[in-house]
Amino acid sequence: MSGFLSGAWAVARKDLLLETRSRERFVSMATFAMLVAVVFSFSLDPSVRARSIAGAMLWVTILFAGTLGLGRSFALERDSEALTGILVSPIPRGALFLGKFLANLAVVLAVEAVIFPVYGLFFGLNYGAGALGLLLVVLLGTIGFMALGTLFSAMAAHTRMGDSLLPVLLLPLLIPVVIFAASATQRLLIGRPLGEVQGSLRMLLAFDLVFLFVCTASFGAVVEE
Amino acid sequence: MSTPPAGADTPAVEARGVEKRYGALHAVRGIDLSLRRGEFLTIFGPNGAGKSTLLRMLCGAVVPTRGTVHIAGEPIGEGEDGWRRRIGLLSHQSFLYPGLSAAENLEFFARLYGLADRRARVDEALRGVELWERRGDAVRGFSRGMQQRLALARTLLHDPEVVFLDEPYTGLDPHASGLLTAVLQRLRDGRRTVVLVTHNLSQGLEQAHRVAVQVGGRWVSDEPAEAIDPATWERVYTERVAAAQ
Amino acid sequence: MDAQMDTGSLAGTRRWSVILGLLATVSLVAGLWMIFFYAPTESEMGVVQRIFYVHLPSALVAYLAFGIVALCSLGYLWLRDERLDAIAVCAAELGVIFTTAVLTTGPLWGRIAWGAWWVWDARLSFTLLLWFIYVGYFILRGATENPERGKRFAAVLGIVGAVDIPLIHMSVQWFRSQHPKPVVLKPEGPSLAPEMVQTLLVNMLAFMLLFFCLLLARYVVERLSRRIDATRLLRAA
Repeated sequence: MSGFLSGAWAVARKDLLLETRSRERFVSMATFAMLVAVVFSFSLDPSVRARSIAGAMLWVTILFAGTLGLGRSFALERDSEALTGILVSPIPRGALFLGKFLANLAVVLAVEAVIFPVYGLFFGLNYGAGALGLLLVVLLGTIGFMALGTLFSAMAAHTRMGDSLLPVLLLPLLIPVVIFAASATQRLLIGRPLGEVQGSLRMLLAFDLVFLFVCTASFGAVVEE
Repeated sequence: MSTPPAGADTPAVEARGVEKRYGALHAVRGIDLSLRRGEFLTIFGPNGAGKSTLLRMLCGAVVPTRGTVHIAGEPIGEGEDGWRRRIGLLSHQSFLYPGLSAAENLEFFARLYGLADRRARVDEALRGVELWERRGDAVRGFSRGMQQRLALARTLLHDPEVVFLDEPYTGLDPHASGLLTAVLQRLRDGRRTVVLVTHNLSQGLEQAHRVAVQVGGRWVSDEPAEAIDPATWERVYTERVAAAQ
Repeated sequence: MDAQMDTGSLAGTRRWSVILGLLATVSLVAGLWMIFFYAPTESEMGVVQRIFYVHLPSALVAYLAFGIVALCSLGYLWLRDERLDAIAVCAAELGVIFTTAVLTTGPLWGRIAWGAWWVWDARLSFTLLLWFIYVGYFILRGATENPERGKRFAAVLGIVGAVDIPLIHMSVQWFRSQHPKPVVLKPEGPSLAPEMVQTLLVNMLAFMLLFFCLLLARYVVERLSRRIDATRLLRAA
């Protein structure tokens, strides 16, 4: 077990080191997210109160920006066939998955740390009262998103279509995350108490646990040659 | 995790009836081999003979469609990782991350192998391939020869008993390939088992104890190196390949 | 079992497919007759309600097909038997076809019942998502260069999809319960006349028979086409 975790940590640490060097994923995702905010503000009718649809806007942005960044995750490993080097080493396939997942999670959470203030600024959202709840919703929603996202980005990287395949496969599967996370975010934004979104949080947690398990277990079949 | 030392007469590498199909393409068609500890085997063959696939099956990177592989008596497969610590793979691809420095690359692999004295091992490995001065530089800026030297350090970092080499000379200039030959000579220390795969007849013949020729996924010959006359080898090889095709 | 070793006879499977096909034809004709001449016209929705006798059986058959995909996918990853992958592909194809039937007949009926072609009704949205997942299944297979890898990827998607389906179902139900329901006249309500129930049951049987007939026939074709591919590649080599 300690070998599993230290292997996962080695992979996550390496990915984050690469990301802090190049910042390519973070910069492109964060810029994209801000542009989506700009596009939203110009495409929405001025009579629409952004606050009443902010939950949906935030999660659409997170999903699209996240999918954009996921594509690079396994492209890194294929540049000089480094994935083979990892597969020959003694770390279990599940640990490799967990490491890639943790690195992706960290990068997307960092992007979300930009998205929320920017949306707050652009659309006059007030996070104050529901901040703790929002933090939970975002964390749980992003974990589920990245669990499936990491698995499918590994598959997409091995296909002819590459990254363009990723959203096609991923989005229908992520509908539960969209539904529970967006509605909980919306409720918290309009000042409803945390107790009211407990059901959604529980469903998000269930989604996370189920897919962390399923994706870790099936990752071996994805990277196998 | 410690692995029990293999008995002296346990083959270092043993393959029984390994086959690989990619859909209907039959890349490797049933190969048996058994290598003693310390043996150096060179497999020659034209492009597309399935040499690389065979090598990758021997080191667990490719799962055989049929057949089994044992490393030091341990069957290879998922789960048990003892055998993975005994092997190293050097390919013409470096398996390195261009964005990381030489030292960071090696440190990453040291972590994957759970090596205890990481820092010391990495330093020693960098000195061994004469890259100590460049340890902090990103691999992106390295020449092909330097990358291949670093890849060699990566392969030998955990001191594997069995070393697999997949066309390691590809793209190396004469100086770099001279260095590589010197290292291969050192690997022939009676303790380490080496499998070298190449399509280039000028390399890997002098170090070999055993020489095999693979064509169309099959071995058409397997003989001790003494039985080969380097002067006529090229002609003999060409005839064998032509006869098999 | 892999393609080149696959020389077993498919005559038995083909015979069953023909037998099921005959039974399906008979029951489909009977079912159609019942839809148009036996079942009474529903008082509130009128003639269009008769679409329901095709709609519901199609949905059930599609769900059954995706269940088969999930089981065969799991089996394939476990045993790596070509035949399981072949069954999974054939079932997924039929699943997409029957889901398309559901998604076509649903709006036709909804136009009259709800006054709109499309309503984000829980079951209709759920079926739409299923359709997207299994269309993705074929895009994924088609996009992999190495066929073995394509089979593995498809199997993983088949399993992940099957695990996700209950979650999608729950979330969509929950989403609908948060919103005002469209005025739905549930045809399966207690007011269903016995003739309607009989018509529905006969059509369900007919669709099941049709599904298994098509599955077996398609399976024979799949196996044969894999053999032909294998032989052709062998010749080329």
